[in-house]
Amino acid sequence: MNWMYLLRRIGQMILTLWVVATILFFIFRLMPGNPLAAYIDPTFTAEQQQELMRQFGLDKPLWEQYFIYMANLLQGELGQSFFYKDSVTSIMMNVLPNTIYLMVFSFVIAYVLGILFGVLFAWYRGSKFETIGLIATLITRSAPQFWVGMVLLAIFSFHFGWLPSGGVSAAGSQYNSEWDKLTSLEFYKFLSLPAFTLIFYLIGLPLLLMRSNMLDVLGDTYVEMAKMRGLSKYRIMFKYGARNAALPVLTAMAVGIGYTIGGNVIIETVFSWPGIGRLLVNAVTASDYPLAQGAFLVIAAFMIFMNFVADLLYGLLDPKISAGGGK
Amino acid sequence: MMKRKWLFWFGLAVLLTVVISACSNEEVKEDVVKEENVVVDVDPTRYLDPISILSRPQSAAPDEYETAILIRDALIELGAETEVQTMPWEQLADIVWYERDQWQMTGWQMAARPERLDPDEFTYNLFHSQGMVDGYNFMGYNNPEYDALAEAQRVEVNQDVRADLIKQAQQLIADDAVYHFTVHPDINIVYNKDVFDEGTITDMTGMGARNFWTYVNAEPSGDQTDIILNSADNVQAVNPFYISGSTDSWITELIWDRVMRMNDKGLPEAWAAESVKWVDDTTVSVVLRDGMTFHDGNPVTAEDVKFSFEAPKTGEVPMYQPFVEYIEEIEVLNDLELVFHLSQPWAAFETASLAKLNIVPKHIWEPILTDLQDSPENAESFQEDVPVGSGPYKFDALRFQEEVVLEANEEHFNAPKFDRWIVRIIPNMEAALGMIQNGEINFLATYTGDAELLNTRVEEAGNLEMVTSVDLGFRFFAVNQRLEPFNNLAFRKALQAVIDKQLITQIVWKGFATPADSVIAPTLEFWKNEGIETPTGGIAEARNILSEAGFAWDEDGKLLKPE
Repeated sequence: MNWMYLLRRIGQMILTLWVVATILFFIFRLMPGNPLAAYIDPTFTAEQQQELMRQFGLDKPLWEQYFIYMANLLQGELGQSFFYKDSVTSIMMNVLPNTIYLMVFSFVIAYVLGILFGVLFAWYRGSKFETIGLIATLITRSAPQFWVGMVLLAIFSFHFGWLPSGGVSAAGSQYNSEWDKLTSLEFYKFLSLPAFTLIFYLIGLPLLLMRSNMLDVLGDTYVEMAKMRGLSKYRIMFKYGARNAALPVLTAMAVGIGYTIGGNVIIETVFSWPGIGRLLVNAVTASDYPLAQGAFLVIAAFMIFMNFVADLLYGLLDPKISAGGGK
Repeated sequence: MMKRKWLFWFGLAVLLTVVISACSNEEVKEDVVKEENVVVDVDPTRYLDPISILSRPQSAAPDEYETAILIRDALIELGAETEVQTMPWEQLADIVWYERDQWQMTGWQMAARPERLDPDEFTYNLFHSQGMVDGYNFMGYNNPEYDALAEAQRVEVNQDVRADLIKQAQQLIADDAVYHFTVHPDINIVYNKDVFDEGTITDMTGMGARNFWTYVNAEPSGDQTDIILNSADNVQAVNPFYISGSTDSWITELIWDRVMRMNDKGLPEAWAAESVKWVDDTTVSVVLRDGMTFHDGNPVTAEDVKFSFEAPKTGEVPMYQPFVEYIEEIEVLNDLELVFHLSQPWAAFETASLAKLNIVPKHIWEPILTDLQDSPENAESFQEDVPVGSGPYKFDALRFQEEVVLEANEEHFNAPKFDRWIVRIIPNMEAALGMIQNGEINFLATYTGDAELLNTRVEEAGNLEMVTSVDLGFRFFAVNQRLEPFNNLAFRKALQAVIDKQLITQIVWKGFATPADSVIAPTLEFWKNEGIETPTGGIAEARNILSEAGFAWDEDGKLLKPE
């Protein structure tokens, strides 16, 4: 690992974040809509309007607002939400864990199953098992998430009543800590429907990627050799084939995690899951600039970081790819 | 080559247009009327600019959008070129509110709130010319006669005389065609009969079954002692000094007591007070109930009440300022008695002030407000960890984007019959409908989906009951009186004639609404003017009104302005 390369990549990351933060700052202010719209009411007076503008810091010139925002950002201060009148960081910390749980849980299952079935599909290429499996994968991958979500709700929640339909806990009950939440069966009941919906969507990528990589690998001479040596089917499949074919899947996973953190808006809405996607949508519609900026920035930072991880992973896992521009 | 050819034709076209328009200006001094106001050789300046109706998109507000389409079609039939322009509410409100000469017509709505049971807010704040520049009179309605009525009803303490003024104001709004009312929607509230004793649900006038009285007086019919209801909106804050979202107001109503409350008939009645007496037109004496305590155990005293009503005057509680505007002085006589001195007679004082302000504990909020004096923030941004009031429910927990849990205050003089009140935040309406069926919630407090579907589901399920009431709030289209053609009364009257409320009620609302003709809902019998007359004759009457006012049509049926 080349340290200069690492430093340069970190420098790039910071630059990208600054660009993102700047774009976010201006995009929300140029967007039609007004944060004061949420307060319009017959008893809303002109003095109140001015007072709110002052409170929100919107009475200052745009460039001044920008420098204040940047200065705060450098100190790790994301500002105060217009809508909730509370610090953006603390609002996000309320819901970020839920988004991460849903994402990690779904990712692990989707990738484990995806890789497994990818291997099997490649091995049994041309069989009925593969044909049906492949069609099913394409269907789940292209089905709209809200539709899958509603169908799952209709069946498992409203028809059979096996699983709860929304939220992270039963009405009026609460977990004593995050640990308590993660170790209680109750939480997984609430998690299962949103997670299944997400898994349905996520599983396609690792599965198809694994299958095509595996087909390449299975044609290689060393696999032929292994077959001739009379090694067991599963040993060849997993030890010789899958290990070599899994590389691109792992990097796809790193990037995929980055993208999924912000992309759960639909699932979070369908299942009333208290996560950052819902927060983001509300913040944007209410023109709550600080909250929307903060949430987007966290998501962007996460994505940029996961891209960085993917790059590093590639270098680590495949020595053929040398870090630092292939000199 | 191509470019030059194109330039030639363009130049020729411009030349011809100039010549033709010059001819018509010279020759046609007066339009030639063929028959029934049909004009040939029209002066081009007489054509109307296309009319644009603002509406939220169909996905967000199907009723508003569909109504806008019906109105558009009627205007087109009348010969006025019209289009519907959709945009999200935030953007629409931004234009209507802050760019007051940039829009012609817009869909809008007023929601039901307990203090709106008194007609003052709708009568005064919506239409008084004071609000033309930056208040709620965004239509630019300016009629001194109306202003006088609105002011008079505000200071008239004799409610019978006042009702007469309110009725005159309603007729004037109709005569001047200020708002184009469509409907009062139905409020459909569904509850589970296995959980609630049917006879104990209160249907409050104009507010429906989802109200304070249901939450405190409903009795359990089985073992379930939690009221579990839904809301689609996040809770913004649980703060007695901050008027935030509507879900927040359901919560603050239950945690904090008020001197008076709006009863199920829509009239203010003494609540935390033993009695409220008008000594004269500007003096009100209040005696508090004995033995009330805050949730932290401290007694509720006259000093707390005085503090609660004076706090808005410190500048730290801006949203409540309008509700204490005419309170000049509050005199505390002893622990339980106090006297309000008003600066002028104020007819809506009981509803808009005594039944509106929350009684907060002085010992908690006084130091907070003092601290806030030196900070740029005000009381609205202060969130207590555990909000303390004296109301029938105590705060238990707020789980962000998930739920708020309140516990019954058994010490209260009107202690609830249920143990807990839990509001679940459910943004997915279809899921909320499923939840009331499978028992995850037992009170469907808000439902913005298809009312017909809801009705069917309730009928199918044996254990559900739907309470349908007429909303105090209403839907309407506002027109900008600063701009053509809406600055012309005849055009507004013609618009009244072509808006078919029966059709809108049946087609758009599938019958789950009541046609509206005033800011006062028909259920508020005391205030409602039953005899409001507006043109309803459709296209034919509209054409007559327009003709009489000098409007005309060209040969293609396009509407022309008066000369």
